[in-house]
Formats: sequence, structure tokens, C-alpha cells
Amino acid sequence: MPISYFQAIVLGLLQGVSELFPVSSLGHSVILPKLLGWNIHQNDSYFITFLVATHLATALVLLGFFWRDWVRIVRGLGRSLRNREIAPDDTDAKLGWLLVVGTIPAGILGLLLEHKLRSVFASAQSAAFFLMINGLLLFGAEALRRRAPQPEHGDPDNRVARRLSWRDAAGVGTLQAAALVPGISRSGVTMGGGLLVGLSNEDAARFAFLLATPIIGAAAALKLPELFGSQGNGVRGPALVGALCAAVTAYLSVRFLMRFFETNRLTPFAAYCLAAGLACTLYFLV
Amino acid sequence: MGAESVSFGAVERGRLLVWLAVLVGVALIVLAVVYWVEPAKSLPSWIPGHEAGSNHHHVKHGIAAFLVGVACLVFAWFRSAGPRPRSAAV
Repeated sequence: MPISYFQAIVLGLLQGVSELFPVSSLGHSVILPKLLGWNIHQNDSYFITFLVATHLATALVLLGFFWRDWVRIVRGLGRSLRNREIAPDDTDAKLGWLLVVGTIPAGILGLLLEHKLRSVFASAQSAAFFLMINGLLLFGAEALRRRAPQPEHGDPDNRVARRLSWRDAAGVGTLQAAALVPGISRSGVTMGGGLLVGLSNEDAARFAFLLATPIIGAAAALKLPELFGSQGNGVRGPALVGALCAAVTAYLSVRFLMRFFETNRLTPFAAYCLAAGLACTLYFLV
Repeated sequence: MGAESVSFGAVERGRLLVWLAVLVGVALIVLAVVYWVEPAKSLPSWIPGHEAGSNHHHVKHGIAAFLVGVACLVFAWFRSAGPRPRSAAV
């Protein structure tokens, strides 16, 4: 069996946490096997199949966690299409189209560049280096933010819809494509982008999680045939166990992070990425 | 007269943009179907993804073309709606 059940549990638990914490799940799933001496490589077809299952689980947890928001957003999208306009007071429709505008460029870049970037930056050494870069990006986003963090009131979806322009959404969404490089965090760059365009930490995290749901779900759904096809033979059991573990930690992570960002910043994650990336880079060098 | 001609020009430009978006949208959706149906070797040489002798289907290229095509049509849908009367604030 290419992945043991023990490895599946460890990688699943790690995936659920690191997909939503701004610390790069792909980077961690490349670095950890190397640190532990496991013979698992990012470009192995069975490992990609395993990752499909854990990503799908994470996307489903995000969808469930923000279910009420998604129902409102989808209704808003339908309403705006029916009326052929986005009414100024229809913040659900505006948020829905902001998410569409943010998802399309990232989706296209992901479809076209994923394979090339995956093969170029497949090594644990490069993932450790980019984890350091991720830390610097998070520090930079906090330092360059447009306004000081302050407690905000009212519906967070309304705040996001009112504050973000179409260009902001496209920019923040496009940043997600940077996460194709192992070591760069999708939620990290989108939260950082959210801060740069004027969102609070809480709203930036919320927008990042809403943006993540369709892109993670679509990426996983696109590769589902591999999980159920011949490529999934021998991996389906560990993949199921890994997916369940990822679902549990993803749920706990999103719950924790939504509370954490009400009053806190990205700084602890920036420090972790910088320290862990530097330590792993030095370890792999010697 | 000057204001009218400016307004007429803007309307014409708006219409042109809508038609352009519809044309590009339909062309991209057709292209998406071509990507899904034809192997890389059968794609016209001027289309990205053409590879002589390759039986690979560029499914992802097709999805990307389809998404951008639909986005163009949605843009045209909103853009072609006439101005809406606004009720006065109470």
C-alpha cells in the first residue's frame, strides 16, 4: 500500500489545519513526508489522488460551515440575473458576483499552470523556501494594510460587499493562484490581499474562506475520476480515513480562526512560516 | 446637441461592447467544445494546445475557455439591460 493508514491520519489531520490556517497545506504536505523520511512525493499519482479526497472533505466542511451565507449568496445571484442588475442594496448579490469575479481568474490560472508549477516546485527544499516567503508576505500585508484593525459591527457579508470593488475582488481572487506554488498559502495570500484592500482581519478571513470553497471544491471535483478510477486502487481506504481526519480538523480550524480574527492578526502565522521555513531550509541544506 | 451626441456615442459604444461580449462568449464556448471533443493532434495549428500526433484531450483548456465564455455572456446580459427607474427614497 503506497500510503499507510497511519500516514493517512497524520497527513489528513495536517491537511485540514494547514488548508485553512494561512500556512500552506501543499507546502506542509511536501515538507512533512521529507522530514519524517516517508517515501511519498508530491507528484506521485497516488498521493495526488489522496490529496483530492482530503481537499474535497475540506471544501465540504467549508460549504457546510458557511451554508447559510451560501444560500443567501446563491439566491442573490439568481435575483440579480433575473432582474438583470445588481441592486445597490442587494449585498448578497454583490458578494456573490464579487466571489465569481475573484474565482474566475484564479480558476483559469490554476487550470493552465497547475501542472507546470507542480513539476517545477515539487521539492521539499523549494517548499521550505516559499514557506519563508509566505511568512514575509503575511508580515508585509499586516504592515501595509490600509487601515488599523478595529472591532466592527453588523453583518460581515454586508461589510465585505460594501467595501470591496470589482477590481479588489479580481485582485484578491487572482492572488489565490500563487498558492499553486507549494509553500505559499491560499488563505494567507487572500487574507493578505483582503487587508491590503481595506478589509478587517475578520472580514478578510471570511472572504478568503468563501473564495476558497468553490476553488478547492472544483479542483477536487475535477480530479474525482482519478480517485474512483484505476489510479485510486490501493489508496481509497487511506484516502477515506485521511478525508475524515481532514474534515474534523478543517471544521475545528475554521471555527477557531473565525473567532481568532475577531481580535487578532496574521502576525503569529507569519512568524511561524518564517521560522519553520527557515529551519527546514537549513535542515535540508545540511 | 453636444450632450445628445455624446450620449448617443456612449449608447453606441455600449451596444458594440455587448455584441462583442456575445460574439467572444459564443466563440469561447464553441472552442471549449472543440477542446473536449477533439484530441490535441486534430486541433487547428493556431489554437493553443495543438500537438502533432498527440491523442490527449485538453479538458482543462476546455473548462477555462467555457468559464471565460460564460463570463462574457453574463457580462453582456447585465450590460444590455436598459436603465431601471428608481423609486424615490421615503
